[in-house]
Amino acid sequence: MSSGIIFSIEEFAINDGPGIRTTVFLKGCPLRCAWCHNPESWKREPQIMVKKGREEMCGYSIEAADLAGRLKRDEALYRDSGGGVTFTGGEPLMQAAFLTEVMDLLPGIHKAVETSGYASPETFREVLSRTDLFLFDIKLADPELHRQFTGAGNAPILQNLQTLIASGKPFVARVPLIPGVNDTPENMEATAELLEGASGLQRVELLRYNQMAGAKYPMVGLPYDPPFQEKQEPKIHDAFTKKGIKLLIL
Amino acid sequence: MIERIEVLKSFIWNRKHHGFRRTPESLGLDSLSEQFHAGDVAPVERSARMLKALLEAEEPIILEGETIVATRTITRIPSVFTEEEWAEIKKHHTLHERGTVSNISADYEGILRDGLGKRKAQVQARMQDKDLTAEQKQFLQAAKESIEAVQAFIAKYRDCAERAGLKEVAADLEAIRENGAETLHQALQLLRMVHFALWESDCYHNTLGRFDQYIYPYYKADIDAGRITGEQAFDLVEEFFLACNKDSDLYIGMQQGDNGQSIVLGGRNQKGEYLFNEVSKMCLRASYELNLIDPKINLRCDGQTPLEVYKLGAQLTKRGLGFPQYDNDDVVIPGLLKLGYTPEDAYNYVVAACWEFIIPKNGMEIPNIDALSFAGIVSAAVEHLGEYPTYEAFYSYIDSRIKAECDRITKAHDNLYIVPAPFMSMLMGGTIERAQDISLGGNSNNYGVHGTGLSTAADSLEVIKKYYYEDKSISLEEMLDCVHNNFKGHEALQDRLRNEAPKMGLDQEEPDSIGSALLKSFAEGLRGKRNERGGIWRAGTGTAMYYIFHAKDLPATPDGRSAGEVIPANFTPSMFLRQQGPVSVMRSFSKQDLQDTINGGPLTIELDESIFRNEETIEKLAMLIRNYMRLGGHQLQLNTLNRETLLDAKAHPELHRDLIVRVWGWSGYFVELDECYQDHIIERIKYKI
Repeated sequence: MSSGIIFSIEEFAINDGPGIRTTVFLKGCPLRCAWCHNPESWKREPQIMVKKGREEMCGYSIEAADLAGRLKRDEALYRDSGGGVTFTGGEPLMQAAFLTEVMDLLPGIHKAVETSGYASPETFREVLSRTDLFLFDIKLADPELHRQFTGAGNAPILQNLQTLIASGKPFVARVPLIPGVNDTPENMEATAELLEGASGLQRVELLRYNQMAGAKYPMVGLPYDPPFQEKQEPKIHDAFTKKGIKLLIL
Repeated sequence: MIERIEVLKSFIWNRKHHGFRRTPESLGLDSLSEQFHAGDVAPVERSARMLKALLEAEEPIILEGETIVATRTITRIPSVFTEEEWAEIKKHHTLHERGTVSNISADYEGILRDGLGKRKAQVQARMQDKDLTAEQKQFLQAAKESIEAVQAFIAKYRDCAERAGLKEVAADLEAIRENGAETLHQALQLLRMVHFALWESDCYHNTLGRFDQYIYPYYKADIDAGRITGEQAFDLVEEFFLACNKDSDLYIGMQQGDNGQSIVLGGRNQKGEYLFNEVSKMCLRASYELNLIDPKINLRCDGQTPLEVYKLGAQLTKRGLGFPQYDNDDVVIPGLLKLGYTPEDAYNYVVAACWEFIIPKNGMEIPNIDALSFAGIVSAAVEHLGEYPTYEAFYSYIDSRIKAECDRITKAHDNLYIVPAPFMSMLMGGTIERAQDISLGGNSNNYGVHGTGLSTAADSLEVIKKYYYEDKSISLEEMLDCVHNNFKGHEALQDRLRNEAPKMGLDQEEPDSIGSALLKSFAEGLRGKRNERGGIWRAGTGTAMYYIFHAKDLPATPDGRSAGEVIPANFTPSMFLRQQGPVSVMRSFSKQDLQDTINGGPLTIELDESIFRNEETIEKLAMLIRNYMRLGGHQLQLNTLNRETLLDAKAHPELHRDLIVRVWGWSGYFVELDECYQDHIIERIKYKI
């Protein structure tokens, strides 16, 4: 039995997949996206966060069975609503052993994983076989820009995306809309090409940049200095509809 | 919304009809009570004469585009008693609130079917009885005069409509002056007239009951006969709803907006059929379109209600009016049956001004006669903590205090006096048979008691159990010092208690079961007791305005609450609960034996308006509401709010005249509330989902 580090469990999560869901936030992320609004999710270890002048621990260790038990509590509600459980982070695949153990303890419950796709091919396959729906982020198609804005290249991501597409598993592709960074026609066309013909793709979701993204940085003692114009409205290039891909702008 | 209604709404919203209003002083109506006194007129006769005088003094006004007429032009209903007489009455009697009949649900179904003429004939037939007492004769005479006064008022409007060239309006007024309704328009016009007359008789919190059920037959008849289209029917329903907002600023409650114009939609019948019809749908749509505070909608539902119905409700919830309120037939009906209501009455329940469950026609209930303060009882009991070696012993003491308070309450309301209401009597069951005014009692005469500060009490007891009795991390001296000195010098402990101690709302076994125990003690404390009218006492989970009253003088409590700090309204978690989310809250607040505390009082959850970004979320909210019903919750009320908007409205009321909020059991205009209520709403949104 393994344990993992999580930093939040959100009930009635309404934007993380179908039906009424409970979303678990796993701590730790290999990427450092310049627009990240959850800086407390970066480090794997629990850390102090200052909220309204009060110091609080962010993140705690939990046994796989305990987490599964907590999630199973609302099984009837998931079933009634066509919902289930969503794992996000940070990057949930960073704690793949824990994640897969929890998933194995939730037979019959719909499981979604929101991921950056940044993981080894083996890890990705392990999780893939247990997941009913992926919420797969595609932040930038260009490898160099990806490195510049997230701190890592996108080769593993693109490889795992191909694995996902080949598997035919249902997925939603999510693209954060960062003004001047990835809201370009080139990036959207390239992203649409990556997704073209994917049989499991349900839709593309463009998520507008969260203008409150910087709010939590002071709470964890970090500066927030985004290398783009925060206030600028992102441009919306629909490269998807013409390829027969459903688009949703959130 | 069609243009006719749009124009009418704008006229009313801009208060142009206020120009027709006159004070009772200017009409010489304020001296009537003196005349009654001088002539030694009996109270029931005074009520009839006052109604007649007021209706005669009303100026018939038909607004541009109106087809359902009657507008109040007299600003205030004078009392039938002089001040000296009131002083005398108070010497010998207890009064409930304003002393007039309130908060019951008239038999609209019966009056729409029978008409005023038949009711008058029944009264006249009853008058033939040779064995009647003088008082009974007096009542029947007053009842007859009241009906005639309303009929004359209708005739006055008929003439006015004729003069204005409104032939159809005039014809329908003539029809309903004597007869029951035959068409939808006649039904709504007759309903408007009798409801208007109830307000004019100084009755208040005049609820509207199962509007969709009693209106549907007239809608159906019109549709079947091809007299009307669905859209035309909708326009009439919408016009009726709009009319409920015309005079409502004159309907006095505890606060502006607290006027009791509640309607109840849906519900299951004894055969197990769920009754939700075209009119039910129209009501939800009309309310959504109008975006006004009246009427306040309740939706009766249960675990098997179709999701489509919940979705229609959730659509309206999104509107941010603070209604519909959702009432669970699965819990309410068995609860009412346990209290001894007949199946017919239990299945026919409606909601009073806020959330109290009452019975149309048959219930002369006073469902808000008093309130028991759980938080106050626990707070006082802490002084005796040292006398009890175990938590179980301490809880037994709490239990005895709750029961003692129930004893006190059930003895505090004897010699009740209510001003006679002969016209209301004509809309209630059994009054003609008994030849007795409804103010003296109806077919059932039960009293309801609110239970306030439940979560504050349960969370406080949990702190005592866990930190004083179990791990002994708080000593007796420290506990007493904290509550006596408002946590001065114990700030770190207070912070820990507020933020880290278990609380109801987290789906934890311990504080939730304490909440259950408190409600059980309350229900037991009232069970088996009778009031002077022969009715029973019902325990409830509502607070009404007591969440403000009871918190004011409450010292600091063991849950970390400072002295004077607010307590939550109704059946709701602590203001400083660090929520896991609405699913845990719903679980915590559905574990109790709610059938046994069925006077009413909802779980209230505040939603941020940002969750309603797309249609999918409406369906998810609908499923969340259904979840509470399936868990066994009794009543749910959801508020959609935006904190920034509320703060701005407080600072710039002139820019937010139309901002509607739910206060304790009713929705009103935020800018017209007293500041303490505004602040409570702003405070609780801090802890929203």
